[in-house]
Amino acid sequence: MFNLLIHEIRSRWRAILGWGFGLILFGAVYISIFPGLFEQLQSLKDLSVYKLVGMRLGSVEGYMASVVLVYIPILLCIYCIIASTSTLAGEEDNGTLELIVSMPLSRGQILTAKAIALSGVALFIMIIASIGNAFILAAIKIDNPINVTPFGLFTALMSSLPLALVLIMIGFFLGAILPNHRLSATVLTIFFIASFFGENIAGMVKSLEPIRYLSLFNYYNTTETIFTDGAQLSDIVILLGIAAVFFILALICFQRRNITVGAWPWQRGKITD
Amino acid sequence: MSSEIIIQTNDLSVYYGAHRGIKDLNLSVQKGEVFGFLGPNGAGKTTTLRTILDIIHPTQGSATLFGLDSQKDGAAIRERISYLPGELSLYPSMKASYFLDLLVSLQKNKLDDSYLEQLLERIGLDPSRKMKEYSHGNKQKIGVVAAFMGKKELIILDEPTLGLDPLVQQTVLELVQEVKDEGRTVFLSSHNLKEVQAVCDRVGIIQNGELIKTEKVETLINQQFKRLEIHFRKEPPPDAFAIEGVKEISRDGNLILFEVSQDLDRLMEKAAPYGIIDIETKAVSLEEIFLAFYGPHNTGGKNV
Repeated sequence: MFNLLIHEIRSRWRAILGWGFGLILFGAVYISIFPGLFEQLQSLKDLSVYKLVGMRLGSVEGYMASVVLVYIPILLCIYCIIASTSTLAGEEDNGTLELIVSMPLSRGQILTAKAIALSGVALFIMIIASIGNAFILAAIKIDNPINVTPFGLFTALMSSLPLALVLIMIGFFLGAILPNHRLSATVLTIFFIASFFGENIAGMVKSLEPIRYLSLFNYYNTTETIFTDGAQLSDIVILLGIAAVFFILALICFQRRNITVGAWPWQRGKITD
Repeated sequence: MSSEIIIQTNDLSVYYGAHRGIKDLNLSVQKGEVFGFLGPNGAGKTTTLRTILDIIHPTQGSATLFGLDSQKDGAAIRERISYLPGELSLYPSMKASYFLDLLVSLQKNKLDDSYLEQLLERIGLDPSRKMKEYSHGNKQKIGVVAAFMGKKELIILDEPTLGLDPLVQQTVLELVQEVKDEGRTVFLSSHNLKEVQAVCDRVGIIQNGELIKTEKVETLINQQFKRLEIHFRKEPPPDAFAIEGVKEISRDGNLILFEVSQDLDRLMEKAAPYGIIDIETKAVSLEEIFLAFYGPHNTGGKNV
């Protein structure tokens, strides 16, 4: 199992570097332009469209939290959606999973190795991105004193990792239960978008307040307080708990799955030979 | 060949919703034999292999390998098996050498490096390139090497020579023969009936998901039907041999070729009045047997 885990991580080293440095670049653009745009953004801060996407432009801290701490994790989550649904469902679609499950490993070992590996890859990407963005913040000259230190930015970015882990495990679960990669990726993408906008809309419309609890983003702090108070432990526990539940569900479904058949659980598709 | 049973299926059935995969399949493969598995596309060959390997779960029935349950003891069983899938898919950007190393690393048994070198040389494969750079035939060679390199007790091959040139096909058959000579077992699913006839001890014939015949290759060929060429003294009339189980294949004057699927008494009785100068038995190939089972006028091989 360990060798499969190592292989899974090794096979993604390009993704680790590409996404890690890509996210540094992304953060660099948004962090470095802020001092120059601060006054212009003040006049736009009350626009609903910004509230819809959760952007708070009134202060450096608010901007950092609502832009850098949202969009970098969102990009990481997009990678996790692509990678997790490609891992089981995608490998089954392209036929490589058949050979892996014919190896002397239990399905539990295969799934565990892949889940740990992909979680590790997300961790490496986020470490690279967080360190890079912390350095950029340290290098940028901001006239007024701010409550965001490079270390604060690093820890705040790292606190988004549980969110990525949840998406990885849901991706595995969908890959184990749905007929193919495309459907798994579509369902997870829709869920992710609904989760993101659901949280912001619920924040704007009082009557929709209760649906906040259904959104993953409700358990990820993107307000200025994260730079001073850090992430809520309860939020991290909830997200890790959700990830654990979906990992167990993925394990159960993967054990039962007829590999290579590709169909809904109640009607496992056509006969291939 | 030993009497030890390596593969045993008991009423093994797989359904995909309303579709039939395989139905009440009962077969056994003994240690040291090369068992051929024949059937047209969609008959259930690959489904059987995948079910035995626990890639697909049976709807009912069970399979045991080395006396172990295919579902409960899957990992332990697969430690003793290597498998070449019929539709081999490889990681495009992975080097063949890395792929082979990966497969070895996922198993407990150590690899005999000198045997791997020997295999690569015999098959004619340079493993230093990426998968996407190989032709279809070369990818199949990688699969063949992967299947044989571990020297497993049971090798399951699904169309192993598909896409290979005749020389490499011959090498694969030699490898199968060597496995047999070492007392190991091969389960071979193939459409290439010449290779099945060349290396298999027994064959199972599957049709519409049901195993309709399991027989030694030699017995199958000899018992299923015979071809007789009779040289008559005087030419019999066209309807002289309208007998059940006897078919006139060709006629050249006094020389007639018959296909007979029952005892020869009735044919001899009808032939005697025309004077028999000579009778020659013609060899029947497994391919002809197969066509008798599955051809357009198939009668399940019972009344050809």
